[in-house]
Amino acid sequence: MMIRPIRKVGIACTMLILALAGQLTYLQVYKADDLSDDPRNVRKAIRDFERPRGDIITADGQVVARSVPDDADGDDFDLQREYPQADLFAHVVGYQSFVFGNVGVENSYNDELVGRDLDLDLRNLDDVFAGKENTGNVVLSMSAEAQLVARDALGGQRGSVVAIDPRTGAILAMYSNPSYDPNPLAGHDPLAVQQYDELLRAAPDKPDLARAYRERYPPGSTFKVVTAGVGLDAGVTTPETGYPSINALDLPQSDSTLANFGNRNCGGTLAVSFTNSCNTTFAQVGLDLGDTFATGMEQFGIYQAPPLDLNPGAAESTGPTPGSFQNDMPRFALAGIGQGDVAVTPLEMALVAAGVANGGVIMAPHVMAEITDADGGTVRTFDDEAWTTAVTPQTAATLTQFMISVVEEGTGTAAQIPGVTVAGKTGTAQNDIGDPHAWFIAFAPAENPTVAVAVIVEQGGDFGSEATGGQIAAPIAKRMIEVLL
Amino acid sequence: MSPLERSRRRNAELGLGLLAVIVSVGGYVLLVLSEGPNLPPDLPLFLAAVVALYAGAHFAMRALAPRADGTLLPLAALLNGVGFVTISRIDRDLARAQALWTALGVGAFVLTLLFVRRVSLLERYRYTCLFLGVVLLLLPLVPGVGYELNGARLWVSLGPVNFQPGEGAKVLVVVFFAAYLVDRRELLAAGTRRLMGMRIPDPKHLGPLLLAWGLSIIVMVRQKDLGSSLLFFAVFGAMLYMATERAAYLVTALLLFLGGATVGYHLFSHVQVRVATWLDPWPVADGDGFQLTQSLFAFGTGGFAGTGLGLGSPEKIPNAATDFVFSAIGEELGLLGTLGVLMVFLLFIGTGFRIAVQAQQPFNQLFAAGLTAIIAIQTFVILGGVTRLIPLTGITLPFISYGGSSLIANFVILALLLRISDETAKRAETGAGRRARVTSR
Repeated sequence: MMIRPIRKVGIACTMLILALAGQLTYLQVYKADDLSDDPRNVRKAIRDFERPRGDIITADGQVVARSVPDDADGDDFDLQREYPQADLFAHVVGYQSFVFGNVGVENSYNDELVGRDLDLDLRNLDDVFAGKENTGNVVLSMSAEAQLVARDALGGQRGSVVAIDPRTGAILAMYSNPSYDPNPLAGHDPLAVQQYDELLRAAPDKPDLARAYRERYPPGSTFKVVTAGVGLDAGVTTPETGYPSINALDLPQSDSTLANFGNRNCGGTLAVSFTNSCNTTFAQVGLDLGDTFATGMEQFGIYQAPPLDLNPGAAESTGPTPGSFQNDMPRFALAGIGQGDVAVTPLEMALVAAGVANGGVIMAPHVMAEITDADGGTVRTFDDEAWTTAVTPQTAATLTQFMISVVEEGTGTAAQIPGVTVAGKTGTAQNDIGDPHAWFIAFAPAENPTVAVAVIVEQGGDFGSEATGGQIAAPIAKRMIEVLL
Repeated sequence: MSPLERSRRRNAELGLGLLAVIVSVGGYVLLVLSEGPNLPPDLPLFLAAVVALYAGAHFAMRALAPRADGTLLPLAALLNGVGFVTISRIDRDLARAQALWTALGVGAFVLTLLFVRRVSLLERYRYTCLFLGVVLLLLPLVPGVGYELNGARLWVSLGPVNFQPGEGAKVLVVVFFAAYLVDRRELLAAGTRRLMGMRIPDPKHLGPLLLAWGLSIIVMVRQKDLGSSLLFFAVFGAMLYMATERAAYLVTALLLFLGGATVGYHLFSHVQVRVATWLDPWPVADGDGFQLTQSLFAFGTGGFAGTGLGLGSPEKIPNAATDFVFSAIGEELGLLGTLGVLMVFLLFIGTGFRIAVQAQQPFNQLFAAGLTAIIAIQTFVILGGVTRLIPLTGITLPFISYGGSSLIANFVILALLLRISDETAKRAETGAGRRARVTSR
């Protein structure tokens, strides 16, 4: 008789069904939120399209997203989402589209906006009986005033400005040029929405790209803050360590050399080399660090995506492959001056400046300040938390002195503000596309920092090949600090 | 079996069936209510049709197989009802067609019970079954008759009727396998030669294994139907093992499968695409991985409790009514719904294997086990595919997916399982009667 093998096959089939039950539990419980919130998943957006939706408001009280009655005939929708500030907040606030789903704050705080949130439910419990809507509003930590200054300062130049409160991680301004008007994407005619989207995608300047946190660039000399920080923390260098004054450094394992800016002689102590942005010194520090460099970069948040509260989120920044020093030493020399494999988002460089400003601790970046109920009462505020510890407080203090010196007597004098001590670092980054990018990162007041800034102007903006970070980017950072202090 | 026990089984079947009817009709009403405040205008008609279909099947059981197991029919009715509601949710036109197919399926169920009074009848016509099965399997390849749809050549068009002959072939081929293996199982199990410490049977007995393998390869290569190919081979491997209880056959079958799969992978780009999208569908979420990622989104969005009937967007998944019907259930009924459906399948499969184990004659045992294995493996292959547990191969979900050929074949399998169950109880009855006479003498 075949009873025993039939039983075995029966048990095997039961196992298969149980494996399915396990996989379903994984998908529908463990991964449910990830799948449901994926920006490519438009289901939630479709379901929420008919629901009343709260406003998104700036820190200075400007409405950047709201729902208004839709009077147009010919569609089934009663509400129309609109964005009164048009392009000013597009890369942060995003849009609500029933064709493409929600993006930006409209996505990451969707539950709060439609009122699908426990705190809101409890708070609005009596409103349910009164027939009122229990939608929530999102109040941003960003101000329209600072955004306007950022847009104005960039002018027609392609680039990004990111400003952060180093104490909390709250983003105070984040603007990328060019931007786009999100209003057409929230329209109710699918064909028109798709045509507008194709137009955006086809535009050569990529206005739909949130450069500030989704695009990576070589950081150039601004990365010397990271190189110096990792070197000081690891003990391979001190502010007084001397470096030869040479115009170029011979790279190991290769016939190439790495030259200073303008091929001039540059060197001295680490402190002097930082002020004058000597490539040879920092390439040497990169070589002296070896694989420790990659570990230190990770402490600064390279190789990972900052936990920004937007969806899609921030891109991760990259560096030389950890553990590859013995095979590829020149890459670590290049990384020392922010070239080669190093590619960072402007947001990441703002976080580097913020970390130094905050005694070495980088706070998790966020755009939400608080959630309010339909009557404007606070439901909850953002829970600030540390993201990563970049360097020790002593190293942070040393780096601050270095950066003050850059603005007082080095390459960043254009960022000086009377009566305020500004700490900064310039960068002029070679790249594959064309003229070098102009960078500046800074924070102020240096004694008790309340604002950290990163500015990039792609390919030197209006100045092209003649541009340096000190000339083009530092004045923009200065304007941002002035408006935010 | 006493007349009391007999009527208890049938009454349980009627009561459980009533629950299945309530679930189906309730689901349909909820679905319509999600779209507007009015009850469906065709509700009385719908209710009458559902009750009539179930009653038809049930009274056929009372007349034709009164001693059979009482749970299998209600379980199938529940799956069928859940499937119908889900299909109505996705496409009303398909649902109307599915209603017709269900009626034809119940008709096939009754006819099977009527004409197959003993399954040993089928055992006798094993070679006819094999011949018909192979003909049906290869029919889609005949020029002018077969045609290709959605990349697989599975369809046959004879006059106004279009059908997938592979669905019928799987039942016929299982008849042959069961009869053949029961005959040869002593020989196959004995084994005369040794290879690497394992006793292996004479190579000439491996003929049927190679035949099954060859058929699977033809189905895979010529019809591009990976799911059916996998199903055929897995069912045959399971039956061979059940007939012989020899692990060597499982190993051989596995090696043959891996060999076929490797060759298929290297020869056909569509197989490579399937494997690549299984390993990581996200980079191709807008292209080849669209169906699978949409399916995963549907499960994730449904979460624990689901969006509620009629409140999700299952129509975003291409083929939501056929291969991906389970994803639609996952989105609108959540984990509660999907695990519920899995439980029903588990009960169905468990009952099927119980019928196999209780059967008296070897053919009945292996035949019942083979039929149950079809349902079990088919369920696993498609549900594993849409949940990304295994690479996706398109195949229907028994009793739930839209599709006439599949539904009719499943109702025939159901009738055959119930016929075997009824035979077992009948034999036990006459056997017990004989023993009773012996002891009384």
